[in-house]
Amino acid sequence: MSVGFIGAGQLAFALARGFTAAGVLAAHKITASSPDTDLPTVSGLRKMGVNFTVSNKDTVKSSDVLFLAVKPPIIPFILEEVGPDIEPRHIVVSCAAGVTISSIEKKLSTFCPTPKVIRCMTNTPVIVREGATVYATGTHADVEDGKLLEQLMASVGFCTEVEEDLIDAVTGLSGSGPAYAFTALDALADGGVKMGLPRRLAVRLGAQALLGAAKMLLESEQHPGQLKDNVCSPGGATIHALHFLESGGFRSLLINAVEASCIRTRELQHLADQEKISPAAIKKTLLDKVKLDSSSLSVASASKVSLFTSKSKKN
Amino acid sequence: MEEPELWVGFVGAGRMAGGLVRGLLQAGKVPASNVLASAPSDRNLGAWRELGCRTTHCNLEVMYRSTLVFLATKPHILPGVLEEIRPAVGAQHIVVSLVAGVTIQTLQRLLPPGTKVLRIMPNLPCVVQAGAMVFSRGSNAGDEEAALLQSLLSSCGLCEEVPESYIDIHTGLSGSGVAYVYLFAEALAEGAVKMGMPGALASRIAAQTLLGAAKMLLETGEHPAKLRGDVCTPGGTTIHALHQLEKGALRATVMDAVEAATKRACEMAKD
Repeated sequence: MSVGFIGAGQLAFALARGFTAAGVLAAHKITASSPDTDLPTVSGLRKMGVNFTVSNKDTVKSSDVLFLAVKPPIIPFILEEVGPDIEPRHIVVSCAAGVTISSIEKKLSTFCPTPKVIRCMTNTPVIVREGATVYATGTHADVEDGKLLEQLMASVGFCTEVEEDLIDAVTGLSGSGPAYAFTALDALADGGVKMGLPRRLAVRLGAQALLGAAKMLLESEQHPGQLKDNVCSPGGATIHALHFLESGGFRSLLINAVEASCIRTRELQHLADQEKISPAAIKKTLLDKVKLDSSSLSVASASKVSLFTSKSKKN
Repeated sequence: MEEPELWVGFVGAGRMAGGLVRGLLQAGKVPASNVLASAPSDRNLGAWRELGCRTTHCNLEVMYRSTLVFLATKPHILPGVLEEIRPAVGAQHIVVSLVAGVTIQTLQRLLPPGTKVLRIMPNLPCVVQAGAMVFSRGSNAGDEEAALLQSLLSSCGLCEEVPESYIDIHTGLSGSGVAYVYLFAEALAEGAVKMGMPGALASRIAAQTLLGAAKMLLETGEHPAKLRGDVCTPGGTTIHALHQLEKGALRATVMDAVEAATKRACEMAKD
């Protein structure tokens, strides 16, 4: 089985790294493509032994499982571009937040009558094989196709099938979740430093504390409330600290965060569905951003940018 | 084997004492005629007489005629009362103080050496036999006295022996705690009234909701967090409501309340 990634950014890198580390896939069975070869992840992928190309079409041709690992607004353009090369054997896996199966199937159906589409929501810790992934299968994806993806994703963490309408909530929780954790860890380390610990040690201990707690919870039958109680001796240090957390509305902040991420995901999907953002506007925004980034880059990159835009001018 | 008759006395006949005696009587542990209560005025004593208890204005009389004596005066009155009854206190007495903020050390200092002293903190629902009480024993009170108190008062609700340091905490948690619950019940009902339900019905339902939830907690022995989770269907009404409570930092506020009451109890004890 060979796997392809359209897009060679953080997600492609994380998944490729995870799959190869897990030994489910040899690096040379993986292809990744992107018009921008200056992404730091591109060199990372190359170092891994992944086949890198600037041609999305090449990726499609050499893959059985095709991951769409680009930002959500780019998905429609990718589908237009590679649609003609999609064959019945392909399993198209979209990891884009807020992009519905039906929107992908609709776009592909102009090229291929029964495209196999699976929608997936994963997260960055796949890179260390502790990802959290859910997937929903599209109209023409068989049970085996889902199981195949599940096998792949289970090699890099937890993976389960869900109904598509839950995926936005998953985005809010475990998709964005690592960011909440990084923020918490940064702050915990600050707390440690304030009380006298060297930064490196504080970070290490904070991360280990969260890792250990998460592991305990996953391996325990007990409710997290009970596990929390087990740590709080009467009148002790921990209960004093927890009181502070409660006073600050810690719990509600986390609930708010998950809710906000989920709602925003739905908003973006809604906007995309209504095509409120015109393709031209999206292109322009991205082009502007690329221009900003490339102002410090070489001329070579600038020409790659124009390659990209001239491609889209075809539409 | 016939148990020796128990003569119970109350010095002070206010709300707390009234709650305890109602519990004792309803549980049939002591006949009303064996109960003698004293108070300076007749204001409260009428209710005791209606229960079938005897009453008096003389504290000494309570000491002479009772073996188990509950001290239930206001804190600032107690020292004077103890001085008054001290001559009549003997080895046969078991003195149980309900007086908030008065430590066992103080009680033992103001009573004859060797007196069997215990200190108890009940709460109001003792009146309906659903109280929560904790007690501690003084240096001369033994297992027998503790067991007697426990057996008499278990009829009023939960009764546990604890180290004296827990008594102020119990005040903050449960003594004052009933007031927190009344506040919560009132707010629940008001929410319902806002949404269109008549007040009286809302109040009854609010109370029953609290009763039912508490009953499930006590009977299942499950962690409250688990029981809470069991009620929360994904995306449903409950989780939406709980989010509002969390936004309002209800948990921290309640912790603050318990802490404030406990600290105040400690402060008052020092006065």
